[in-house]
Amino acid sequence: MQSVFFTLDRVLKKLYLLSGYAAATSLIIIAILVLLSIVSRMLSIYIPGLTEYSGYAMVSASFLALAYTFDNHGHIRVELAISRLDEAKRWYAEIWCLSVATLVAMLLSFYMSKLVYWSWRFKEHSEGSDAILMWKPQSIAAIGSCIFSICVLHHLIKCVANRPKEPVADGRT
Amino acid sequence: MEELSLILVFLSVLFFLLGSGVWIAVSLIAVAWVGMALFTDRPIGDAMATTIWGGSSSWTLTALPLFVWMGEILFRTKLSENLFKGLSPLLWRLPGGLLHVNIAGCTVFAAISGSSAATVATVGKMSIPELRTRKYPERMIIGTLAGAGTLGLLIPPSITLIIYGVTVNESIAQLFIAGILPGITLALLFMGYVAIWGIVTGEPKKSGDLTEIGRLKEVVQLIPVIVLITGVMLSIYLGFATATEAAVLGVVGALILAALQRSLTKETFFAALMGATRTSCMIAFILAGSTFLSLTMGFTGLPRTLAEWIGALQLSPWLLIFALLAFYIILGCFLDGISSVVLTMAVIEPMARSAGFDMIWFGIFLMVAVEMAQITPPVGFNLFVLQEMTGKDMAFISRAALPMFLLMIVAVGILLAFPQLATYLPGIMVQR
Repeated sequence: MQSVFFTLDRVLKKLYLLSGYAAATSLIIIAILVLLSIVSRMLSIYIPGLTEYSGYAMVSASFLALAYTFDNHGHIRVELAISRLDEAKRWYAEIWCLSVATLVAMLLSFYMSKLVYWSWRFKEHSEGSDAILMWKPQSIAAIGSCIFSICVLHHLIKCVANRPKEPVADGRT
Repeated sequence: MEELSLILVFLSVLFFLLGSGVWIAVSLIAVAWVGMALFTDRPIGDAMATTIWGGSSSWTLTALPLFVWMGEILFRTKLSENLFKGLSPLLWRLPGGLLHVNIAGCTVFAAISGSSAATVATVGKMSIPELRTRKYPERMIIGTLAGAGTLGLLIPPSITLIIYGVTVNESIAQLFIAGILPGITLALLFMGYVAIWGIVTGEPKKSGDLTEIGRLKEVVQLIPVIVLITGVMLSIYLGFATATEAAVLGVVGALILAALQRSLTKETFFAALMGATRTSCMIAFILAGSTFLSLTMGFTGLPRTLAEWIGALQLSPWLLIFALLAFYIILGCFLDGISSVVLTMAVIEPMARSAGFDMIWFGIFLMVAVEMAQITPPVGFNLFVLQEMTGKDMAFISRAALPMFLLMIVAVGILLAFPQLATYLPGIMVQR
């Protein structure tokens, strides 16, 4: 039974890393799009939609990296109070924080997905010169927030399972 | 009266979430949700999705990951080494000696990296051991680093200024240009202090302590990076490029520079890219939370009430600015610079506008205020970095940073007396 969890843990970590890679790729795409806009302007060529596409790449770079950043402790928090708690109290505090984060992440994924659904139902188009269907870029944000939800829930479950033993902790995190 | 108690509930939730260690971006979204529930009957979730989508998919915002990336690339070159060896032959003869390298080094590094903690860490890594072997007083080594590290937010490209610009809808290009002169003024104030200290105390003694480290030819090593940064700034100033476009030029330049120095390997490229991805995701998430919070703030009526209340008090600009200064210093006890800015702008922006402040000028003031908070005990981020690097206790480090803190108050005074310092250059720059 335990080996199933370990495998799942590894697979999930891989998922966060992969979505992190996708986010990093989006960052490179932003750079390329912006370079294109400079070059095309110098050559007086008009390429429609460059600004909008950079915006979507920005969304993709931010949302797809959410889980990866969380897994690498990249999101900041105020540790002033919780860093002073002893291990047992810290455990409760961590569960509280992770529960709030899980709730927020799930709300975000649900309503992002709902946004995608309605954009798809009503075939909403972008107002910019790219005129693409809005659900396409929006679904990247929805996917990113869903992976983030999985990641936070994953951390919550791991935290609950690893209750520090009294008086010494077992050292696992 | 009911309104007031709702606002109190709202604010307590905010502080409780932040204080209990919930991630800042998550707290912002959660409290915005609570606020919407308290103050409106609108469908909360849909408003959240639309607002966050709109705030995240913006072209202006793309300057952020690109500048972060540029800093990450340059950070992995031999820059910090070169910085110390290249600057010391230029500065060691000044009264106060090599301490000036701390300040000048931070100024140059600030132009490369948008983060002040990174500035302190990188410059300190090289300079602390070197200055210690030359028996410079510990208090001065730490003080100058703590103070000059804060230049990271003023000297462009500054990540916090990008965030401010995006939040209040002002031109990032103008804000960058506006930060230059105040940044240099502050650096000169710090250097002046070191020089006066050097003259008054006669330290460091001429006998062996006061020697240069690098040779004069090492100065050459610094030229490429200075050319790169100047080029990036000039492209904005001359109207050739927007902030985002300048950022991408910076990334390309940084890659070329790293390749020429032979410090660009597959590993460093990858590490820089992933580092930039994490940092910009962290900031973008906070920003997303803050756009949703701003929406809620609008419904609470808090910004309008506060703006009217402050307006009715008829405070002089000086009094108002120093009250805000105190406010941000207290806030900085809990939060880093970016979080302080995004958290408060929804409330402070209408107030600052109705008090008649130029928002470009106000942004520069805000950077100084937020940075002062980073070197104020009990909790200043830069102080923590220094504590870790030097092993001294917090009380000692805070005392060492105190003169720099006072100099920054002087800088705020100068900004108030001569607002042109921030507004002149953006006024004459070429707009695009």
